[in-house]
Amino acid sequence: MTRNEFIDKLRKGLSDLPEVSVNEIVADYEAHFADAAAAGRSEAEVASALGDPERLARELHAESGLKRWEKAKTPSSAIAAIFAFLGLGAIDILILLPILMGIAGSLVGIFIGAFGTFFAGGILFAAGPFLSLPGGVAGALLGGVGLMAAAVMVIALTAIVTIWMVNALVWFARLHYRVLKPALEPQSN
Amino acid sequence: MPEIIDVQLKKGVLVLCVLAVLARKESYAYEIASNLSDAIGMGEGTIYPLMRRMQSDGWVETYLVESSSGPSRKYYRLTEAGHAALKAQRSEWRTFVVAVDALLEPVSQGDQNDPK
Repeated sequence: MTRNEFIDKLRKGLSDLPEVSVNEIVADYEAHFADAAAAGRSEAEVASALGDPERLARELHAESGLKRWEKAKTPSSAIAAIFAFLGLGAIDILILLPILMGIAGSLVGIFIGAFGTFFAGGILFAAGPFLSLPGGVAGALLGGVGLMAAAVMVIALTAIVTIWMVNALVWFARLHYRVLKPALEPQSN
Repeated sequence: MPEIIDVQLKKGVLVLCVLAVLARKESYAYEIASNLSDAIGMGEGTIYPLMRRMQSDGWVETYLVESSSGPSRKYYRLTEAGHAALKAQRSEWRTFVVAVDALLEPVSQGDQNDPK
């Protein structure tokens, strides 16, 4: 593989990262090829020492998605981490996919159910006292508050489970690094 | 089997080696990589993700140096935190080596079969 092929493949693989980071990464490898050429090494030799650029790009890509999640645990960074994970395209990930979809679907379902319950509680609390329900005014107020509290609890628990799931996914994804692995292994200090 | 031990060992000391190389002399990635691939046989491609990580951990900082041939070159130097990390990891490494060496030493008395 020539230097241009290597850089092209790397750049293509990184295309949806921020342009600044892509340029930084690419500049590093460009400089590497230039320095190696100055040392009298052939482009093909250097490219093979650097490893498969597509694989490298996939792993750099995955790492940036996983880092986003570690910096800020938001729904959008969770989605970024999940896509980063799928982007690695390892075969066991594809086998796990149906199970993951099942779990993710259940979590989303529980979230929606809990939000629904919360709103139902709110409506009962606000409108119940005027509807002459069997429990009377106090029953409607207490029932409304109770429903909302239960919904908040379910939402909190589901959020904890979701965070835990995504963390597990991040850990599992990092097991799939081949090119980056020696450099990215967490250092136990 | 020896290969696995080899890889694991290198993986563990790579950061320490980079810190040590940079403490001796501020340097650019290709030079660090070729130093280390000569010394410990590290794959040269691993240096870039490693440097990015050390930079985001605040252990190294970069500056550009004009070069007579071609574009300016990115040099790395250790930060305060990098020096502290080197100090901590070096003493950890020394302790570790002493302990492993002690285990590798043959028992001195009555061990006549040992070629030494």
